[in-house]
Amino acid sequence: MKINTRLWKIIAIIAGGFSFVVCTILIVNYIQLKKYNPAETEVINSLVERLNENPEDIQLREEIRMLDFMSRKAYFTNQWQVRMGGYLLLLGVLVLIVALQILKSEEKKIPSLTEKDNSIFTQKKTRKWVAISGVAIVIITLFFAFLSHNQLSDTFAEATNKDSVLVDLDTITETVNVEVEENTLIVEQVDTTSELTDTVTITITETVISDFPTSKEIRKNFANFRGYGGNGISYHKNIPVSWNGASGTNICWKTPIPLHGFNSPVIWEDKIFLAGANAQKREIYCFDRLTGKIHWTANVKNVPGSPATSPAVTDDTGHAAATLSTDGRRVYAIFSNGDITAIDMEGKKVWARNLGPTGNHYGHSSSLMLHQNVLIVQYDTKTSPKIMGLSIKTGNTVWSTARDVKVSWASPVVIYTGKQTEILLASDPGVASYNPYSGKENWNIESVFGEVGPSVAYADGIVYAMNEYASLYAIKLGDEPEILWENMDYLSDVPSPIATKKYLFVPTSYGVFACYDAKTGEQFWEQEFDNGSYSSPMMVDGKIYLMDMGGVMHIFSASDKYVAIGTASLGEASMTTPAFSDGHIYIRGEKHLFCVGSK
Amino acid sequence: MLKKNFQKILFFIFVIISLQVYDAQAQRFPKPEFESGHTQPVLEIPESRSDFMEYLDVFILFLALSLVSWLVIKKRSRKGVLWVSIFSILYFGFLREGCVCSVGAIQNVALALFNPNYKIPLTVIAFFVLPLIYALIFGRVFCAGVCPLGAIQDFFVLRPIQIPLWLQKLLGLIPYIYLGLAVLYATTGTDFIICRYDPFIGIFRMTAQFSMIVLGVVFLLTSVFVARPYCRFFCPYSVLLNLFSRVSKYHLTITPSKCVQCRLCENSCPFGAIEQPEQLKMNESRKQTVKRFVVLGTIIPLLVFVGGWTVSQFHETLAKVHPKVLLAQELVSLDTISQSDTITEIDSNYVESIEIEAFKTSGESYTELYADANEIIKQFYIGAWILGAYIGLVFALTLASLSTFRYRKNYEPNKGTCLSCARCMDYCPIEPET
Repeated sequence: MKINTRLWKIIAIIAGGFSFVVCTILIVNYIQLKKYNPAETEVINSLVERLNENPEDIQLREEIRMLDFMSRKAYFTNQWQVRMGGYLLLLGVLVLIVALQILKSEEKKIPSLTEKDNSIFTQKKTRKWVAISGVAIVIITLFFAFLSHNQLSDTFAEATNKDSVLVDLDTITETVNVEVEENTLIVEQVDTTSELTDTVTITITETVISDFPTSKEIRKNFANFRGYGGNGISYHKNIPVSWNGASGTNICWKTPIPLHGFNSPVIWEDKIFLAGANAQKREIYCFDRLTGKIHWTANVKNVPGSPATSPAVTDDTGHAAATLSTDGRRVYAIFSNGDITAIDMEGKKVWARNLGPTGNHYGHSSSLMLHQNVLIVQYDTKTSPKIMGLSIKTGNTVWSTARDVKVSWASPVVIYTGKQTEILLASDPGVASYNPYSGKENWNIESVFGEVGPSVAYADGIVYAMNEYASLYAIKLGDEPEILWENMDYLSDVPSPIATKKYLFVPTSYGVFACYDAKTGEQFWEQEFDNGSYSSPMMVDGKIYLMDMGGVMHIFSASDKYVAIGTASLGEASMTTPAFSDGHIYIRGEKHLFCVGSK
Repeated sequence: MLKKNFQKILFFIFVIISLQVYDAQAQRFPKPEFESGHTQPVLEIPESRSDFMEYLDVFILFLALSLVSWLVIKKRSRKGVLWVSIFSILYFGFLREGCVCSVGAIQNVALALFNPNYKIPLTVIAFFVLPLIYALIFGRVFCAGVCPLGAIQDFFVLRPIQIPLWLQKLLGLIPYIYLGLAVLYATTGTDFIICRYDPFIGIFRMTAQFSMIVLGVVFLLTSVFVARPYCRFFCPYSVLLNLFSRVSKYHLTITPSKCVQCRLCENSCPFGAIEQPEQLKMNESRKQTVKRFVVLGTIIPLLVFVGGWTVSQFHETLAKVHPKVLLAQELVSLDTISQSDTITEIDSNYVESIEIEAFKTSGESYTELYADANEIIKQFYIGAWILGAYIGLVFALTLASLSTFRYRKNYEPNKGTCLSCARCMDYCPIEPET
């Protein structure tokens, strides 16, 4: 059959042109939609904002609905157009290809005769290339194998070992108690036999249902004393460097705090938590981070086992010295009488219990720390010092390990060494590390002694601990932790140090601030301020923020030279550690909670 | 000519972008928030294809294979094959959206062989076996016009060039490696990579990731000059079809009668599957040939070992494709990042993957995940040894086969690589004997 070449050429041209036009329309459509997202129109968003301000405006509500409806209709119409365009394009391509094939079939079949290669030569050439490609594949594979190091298996094995401890503990508490005892550790009996079944059931549920924030969420907030892990570093940026509490410059708001306390603010999203207490009352406050208004106050009372009278404490510690901790689900607080509680984000009690007498002659001040679903309590009391892991949901003891130490006022620090997560505690007679999943002691090393107040700092495999009248120790971790260097020039009795890979920053309560080489202990610089600090310094965005007892914040560069960046006065004394969030600083003064930042 | 080709390239780029437009818009519009108490409809999962339809598919596959065999062997009709190809593209491609296909069925079969808990449907077995049976009897008639992947490429063959034989042979090793990887990933329950990276499925379904659409269009575009690149240099099923077809009893012949050595068909095959006459062995002494044969025979075990050892060193990288290993690795990395002690070590833009979020909300145990991941890595270690040994064997046998010599009087199709498309028949001037 004779093919009408001219006709098929015309068909091919028309089909090609048609496909091109459809294609162009689809692309233009795509570019337009890239710029315009029907679900995120500025008009609707601004109207919604207006509606939020005036929720009773029915007319506005209807207007938004109509606009929203139109946006969606436009979107789905557009989807239909795209789909139809796709089909039309397919049809166009199909016709084009058919036409081209028909035209091709009409071409004269001219045999193309070429001189063929000698087959022996071809085989030889092929053998050569097969061999070369084989060698190349081996080299490339080994190269990438070398790059990947084959270490995943070990990593997972370690992670399995680490986490299996938690599962064991959560599943059968009794079994773990036996195991721990076999390891010559004294483990507190968790519950009475009759309560054991309940405990086991509850903890199993917790293993199954994840109820704790991600690390990213924690870093984004300011969940506990001295920020993420309690290590004195905050990951927020654009923090102000000047303000004046007396004149109100850069003070967004300040709100009186009903009851006194030395605990520092902790923050979760738009909520700030503080505690206040006296001998009769213990309260937890939730402030609005944006306005300073107190959302709710939770009274901690009727706690089972709570002593009738609060223990005697000194004025410089008080009944609410320990900083709270929050995971965005609950906020946890501990007081001088051993009452510990969890309050939900709306101010309702989740659980409360009493941990027993502290026997602490100044008052309990070890802040709370969280690790996943365990609330870590350093409870170095006079009679039975221990570290405890409590269930965040129920308050039940997940693990508890007795410690042979004296009373301590320092707080736990949670670190990750690259191999495992550890809890670090400082007290007389030294620094000890614990497994956060089982409470088992990893190691301890004799170092600090006396009435230990400062918490440790950690960076790059080295733990730094100190106490007044003792020494400053750099402890290098490893199979056998060892003291890397020691220095006695400047020591702290309350504020805690900050460490980075290069530098160690040491505050004191008598006004001197020093910077050391983290690896060698060589002193880079020292700076004396008019007032000493009880507040622990914080490192934020490459700067050190150090609040002195007079309420003056000294801001300087976190480097090997002292470079002052600013000095800002709060207008009232402050003994607590500031918290940072969203470009603002939140400072607890003697009487007020301040929000510092651009108004 | 250059201008024409350029226009074609431009055209296909337009196709790529426009298909991406459709894909990009598919999921971006959020559900409306109703205040009227309207409940969102429950997500419905479409029912699987009915048994009847599945058996109908198998029957149609059987009919198509039989028809192509008849057209190629008896009728010697290229045009007939072409019409079956169109039907296959429409039915197996667009209508059935390319699934189940015989190529992907390799993975189901492999998984069923290694995992007793996996119940492989009979229809999938049929899709896997039927083309092989036909290949064993009639050659690769499945490739000729039944496989939609091949058929769609075939339509784009407009200006095919002849690829040098040595390069063809070299590229022909890729399907063996791909097959090995596909079996490894299927048997370890990792993924069906043949399906995931099927370049044409996106075109058949009119939706896919942008990269896959690009891949499909690149293959089609390449088909204009290099005939059926996916079939010849990537398709893992072609490995099996090739092996089965080599011993096929009723394979097509170029000439219906006696070859007159007119050489008209010499370059007619766009796939380079026509073997030319080899009259005499030259340039090589018997001593040299024997020596090489002995050397190659000796190195076969060595290559098998080297292959096994080499790939075994790579087993963790291979294992990282497994979703559980990937998830465990991400969780470990996340833990490391979250515990970093200085600002500079923290990637402020780090966002948890949806897999991590899903895992956390699933309530599954971290311990079990890590233990499972470790077990999978061990499986991969063994699998990598086997895969490497197999690749080593393929290379060794390829080298050995390149040392053998066959005398041939006439122009014949290479039974292994011939796709039975029947193009060459049109070039043969000999009329069938009546």
